[in-house]
Amino acid sequence: MSGTTRIAGGLLAAALVIGVAGCGSSKSPTASGGEPATGTPTKGGTLTVLSNQDFSHLDPTRNWTMPHMDFGIRLLYRTLTTFKSEPGAAGAEVVPDMATDLGTPSQGGKVWKFTLKDGLKYEDGTPIVADDIKYNVERSFAPELPGGPNYAQVYLAGGDKYKGPLKGERLKSIETPDDKTIIFKLKRPVAEFSSTVTLPTFAPVPKAKEAGAQYDNRPFSSGPYKIETYDRGKELVLVRNEHWDPATDTVRKALPDKIVVKQGLRQSVIDDRLIDSRGDDENALTYSDVSAASLAKILPKPETRARLISEISGCTDMLGFNTTKAPFDDPKVRQAVHFALDKQALQTAEGGPDMAEIATAYLPPALSGGQAQDVYGLPQTGDVEKAKALLGGKTLDVGMTISTGDKLVGEAVQSSLKRVGINVTLNPVDPSVYYDTIGDTAKTPDMFIYGWCPDYPSGATFLPMIFDSRTIVEKGNSGNVWQFKDKAVDAKIDEIQAMTDGDAANKAWVELDKQIMEASPAVPFMWKKKPLLVGKGITGAYGHPVWSGQLDYATLGVKQK
Amino acid sequence: MIVYLAKRIAAVVGILLVICAVTFVIFYVVPSDPAIQACGKTCTPERVAEVRAQMGLDKPVWEQFGVYVVGIFAGRTLGAGIECGIPCFGFSYQNSLPVWDLLVDRLGTSVSLAIGAAVLWLIVGLTVGIISALRQGTALDRTLMIATLTSASLPVYFVAMLLLLFVVRIAEILPYPAYVELAEDPVAWASNLILPWFTLAALYAAMYARLSRAQMIETMSEPYIRTARAKGLPERTVVVKHGMRAAMTPIVTIFGMDLGGLLAGAMITETVFGLPGIGRLAYDGIVKADQPVILGTTLLAAFFIVIANLVVDLVYAVIDPRVRYS
Amino acid sequence: MTALSTPETAPPVAPAATGRSPSRLIWDRIRRDRAAVFGMAIIVLFVVIAVTAPLLTMINGWSPYDFDPSAIDKKLAGVPKGILGGISAEHWLGVEPVSGRDIFSRVVYGAQISLLISVLAVIVSVLVGTVLGLLAGYFGGWIDAAISRVMDLLMSFPSLIFMIALISVMPDGNRILLLVAIMGGFGWPYIGRIVRGQAITVKHREYVDAARVGGAMGPSILFREMLPNITAPILVYATLAIPTNIGTEAALSFLGVGVRPPTASWGQMIQESMVWYEVDPMYFIIPGICLFLTVLAFTLFGDAMRDAIDPKGGRR
Repeated sequence: MSGTTRIAGGLLAAALVIGVAGCGSSKSPTASGGEPATGTPTKGGTLTVLSNQDFSHLDPTRNWTMPHMDFGIRLLYRTLTTFKSEPGAAGAEVVPDMATDLGTPSQGGKVWKFTLKDGLKYEDGTPIVADDIKYNVERSFAPELPGGPNYAQVYLAGGDKYKGPLKGERLKSIETPDDKTIIFKLKRPVAEFSSTVTLPTFAPVPKAKEAGAQYDNRPFSSGPYKIETYDRGKELVLVRNEHWDPATDTVRKALPDKIVVKQGLRQSVIDDRLIDSRGDDENALTYSDVSAASLAKILPKPETRARLISEISGCTDMLGFNTTKAPFDDPKVRQAVHFALDKQALQTAEGGPDMAEIATAYLPPALSGGQAQDVYGLPQTGDVEKAKALLGGKTLDVGMTISTGDKLVGEAVQSSLKRVGINVTLNPVDPSVYYDTIGDTAKTPDMFIYGWCPDYPSGATFLPMIFDSRTIVEKGNSGNVWQFKDKAVDAKIDEIQAMTDGDAANKAWVELDKQIMEASPAVPFMWKKKPLLVGKGITGAYGHPVWSGQLDYATLGVKQK
Repeated sequence: MIVYLAKRIAAVVGILLVICAVTFVIFYVVPSDPAIQACGKTCTPERVAEVRAQMGLDKPVWEQFGVYVVGIFAGRTLGAGIECGIPCFGFSYQNSLPVWDLLVDRLGTSVSLAIGAAVLWLIVGLTVGIISALRQGTALDRTLMIATLTSASLPVYFVAMLLLLFVVRIAEILPYPAYVELAEDPVAWASNLILPWFTLAALYAAMYARLSRAQMIETMSEPYIRTARAKGLPERTVVVKHGMRAAMTPIVTIFGMDLGGLLAGAMITETVFGLPGIGRLAYDGIVKADQPVILGTTLLAAFFIVIANLVVDLVYAVIDPRVRYS
Repeated sequence: MTALSTPETAPPVAPAATGRSPSRLIWDRIRRDRAAVFGMAIIVLFVVIAVTAPLLTMINGWSPYDFDPSAIDKKLAGVPKGILGGISAEHWLGVEPVSGRDIFSRVVYGAQISLLISVLAVIVSVLVGTVLGLLAGYFGGWIDAAISRVMDLLMSFPSLIFMIALISVMPDGNRILLLVAIMGGFGWPYIGRIVRGQAITVKHREYVDAARVGGAMGPSILFREMLPNITAPILVYATLAIPTNIGTEAALSFLGVGVRPPTASWGQMIQESMVWYEVDPMYFIIPGICLFLTVLAFTLFGDAMRDAIDPKGGRR
């Protein structure tokens, strides 16, 4: 019951990343939008991944950050179902992975049964059994292993009391009658449970390999690669898992023999190395977003531009208000900001129209039938006169908290609101404390920046997560960080969630989007793309739409030398 | 002498304890709550409380401090059966590893960087300084001094970026720095560290050149040098044996302190070049609010500084016979 | 904790041999030093620029916070239009990429902030260091022991790590004051040591003894008799500490804990321009040169002052 704030979190938070990314129309002239980068895929070689950071968690129980989920699921562990390895909309399709099919619901979707394929093995050749998946799901309840997806805790019956398997207790609502069958008993019907089990929570962890928090450093592989060495923050080396059987796997191509992840590099250095693409860097690519300044070097040259992958991240960046306090408890003032905001300046700060599309609604286009909804119909630079009229000649002094990596965006907001007499004081805080500050309802600033990405393509993973007033908690609040309380919206959410017709539900979400836009608890301003550069020798590179535009590690290959 | 040493070591332990306590208290009262961070997205208050208890953060600060200090000498068992061996500096939230393991892992990089740069700056700095002193007032002296002043006035990262631009990107002489273990491939180790060494050495060499020049000029005007010359000793002997030895003593002090500070991580250089050293570890710890890492790196850095101080004082006694311990 | 004579206990200023007053003599020596005059000229120039910043930006017509979208290429990640980072009649030193803010205005206001922070931080360390150093040196005993231990402790702190950690967790407030307090707070032991050493030396000079015999009390001896005789080394130290502080401010900005946006400081400008160094080199060269010149100028001037005060030459 959460979207992937972390992703946006990642974008906003990473001080080391100068927040770029972009969002743009799929007509963009870069190599995005469907066509994998050129080259004939061949087996073998070493793929080098350059990153400015370490993975937050590779333990499947704790991995809940979009790009890291992609990396883990595509290379190290398999889940019951997963997303197709295809660019564009086709990639959003859920296909069986370890399971033989997408699961069989019964009792109106309250009970889900999955059957495992034959021939599934761990890196040491031992077979993967249903109980190992149950064990990993149980691990997500353990307070010793925090941070991972909490869907199991929210959906599974008896999840409120359970404290994880580390002290020997097991969860009754998951049954494994034999080694090939796993049955989940849920609290309420969940029509989309086939999509839920794409999350790394539903990967196998053998009990014998349990290492508590340190499992993070050496997850035991069920996927095509296994960890040879992992020096945290420095280097991760993956080699082939000889026991992985390609016959059981329809999504992972597993082309390179070896994958080396170099961590903790400076992003500008990564960008320069890949622009040059000399020697071993031919077979290298960036894990973290290319910086805005580097885009200025990449875009003018067709050769480098062709190697830039920029898939829509699927997330919406928003300017949020504290709706419980003056002056933003007044919807009129919030609307005035909506009118006053120069979204074009923000777009420039994100790298220009090729890299970022101006958002005109909360739901990203992929969730509103491929078409962006434009509720206000404003010019891109805002409507200063209308905003002034709404304010009625008042001038305001407000504070805005930003993460240090979001300085440019903050300054653009400040400069555009000044035009209508709203003086913004920027308070940059360390990324490490940013979400704590916003999530503490007693300290929520007047204005702040927040992003949301759906966990899988459905309006149900978006609007209820960020506008349902019943999810607000006093400390560590996330999702409804604006503390937006509207009974009518809550009721509407319940109504849509009970719908069985998917299309009708989708339409209803779009309607609700419009309804909330009018109350304006937040101003959506950007749909970004994820700008990633690959070396000259890389094949099969495209951004996967589900994992916020991160490269699909299932299909990457390198040129042989 | 032994009494003196014992006193000094006691003082070292005292200082480290105070630093530990100060750091501990400061990061105990910070706004960021590691439990909420570790818990992740949409975490219920009950679960945050469980996570907090799991991390031992629900106890009063003095008790946590006690556990920490005892752990350093006796090791401890963390929740979920993780053994944290002696010396236990806590467990990194972000890296899921004992802090000590991280420190040991990163130390190699920082030591490689510091020692290499130190050798370079000592050779260059002292040579330039002494030549300048012996040719005081000439055009050569003035040129060298202008060069050192310029070099000392440039910020470290400025030099780093210029070197990257010209040496790596334009001239393509060296590869992009990426740390390689010495044992793994000594040639790659050195070629990857050349730029960081030069960057650091550029700053320090300039300082040492200016310092050694001033020291040398002063020493060479001392009466005993005149005596030595009057005795008919060759100029070489006078300069090397009498002049340099005396001139170098104060430089040893400064060198010890500088090296001590650098061993625990050159934060900016490591950040610019993406070298996984202690400085970089500390920086990442701060950015990610990984308090055990901040505490561990601060203590290690303080340890190096204090030890360097001690060693310098001891070495001083050996090279400067005028110094006696009270 | 050093039990030996440290090199910081440099002898105080030699009394002037001629009839001219010592300060006059020093001034004359500095004036004859071409490097010192050059340094002084640059310092004066930047101080004037900093003080007249509002006037200068009025002439050029751009506030340091105004965005100018017309000066940048919005399609190309916001690169400045035109050559040399957008240098034109409109924008004398070009514009910042992305925002199009005027670099001249930002550099001019940046001078204000950079100089203000570093000078204030030096004043803090000089005040604290001098008072505590004098007390320690004059009274000796447990006072000396206590103050010296605190100095040892502060000097053993890995200050850069600690400054960053401290600033990043401090609650919001005035960032400039916080920077000054932290930089000053970590800087005073260095001057404290020098003053303490000087005070010990001066304490037994005839004129101090004379004052004591004359019935002067502690504070009066300290500040009326001893302080004037050790101002010279303090001044030298202060002058040389300013460039160090400018560098520290820049380094802190570089590591992400500098002044708060949209305030400009040179360090922050350089930090932001780093990633653009290839696409828009002027963006980083301009504040870089300002920083370099200022550091150089203060160093030259400080060196000259030290040489003038103690012609035998360089001590640290």
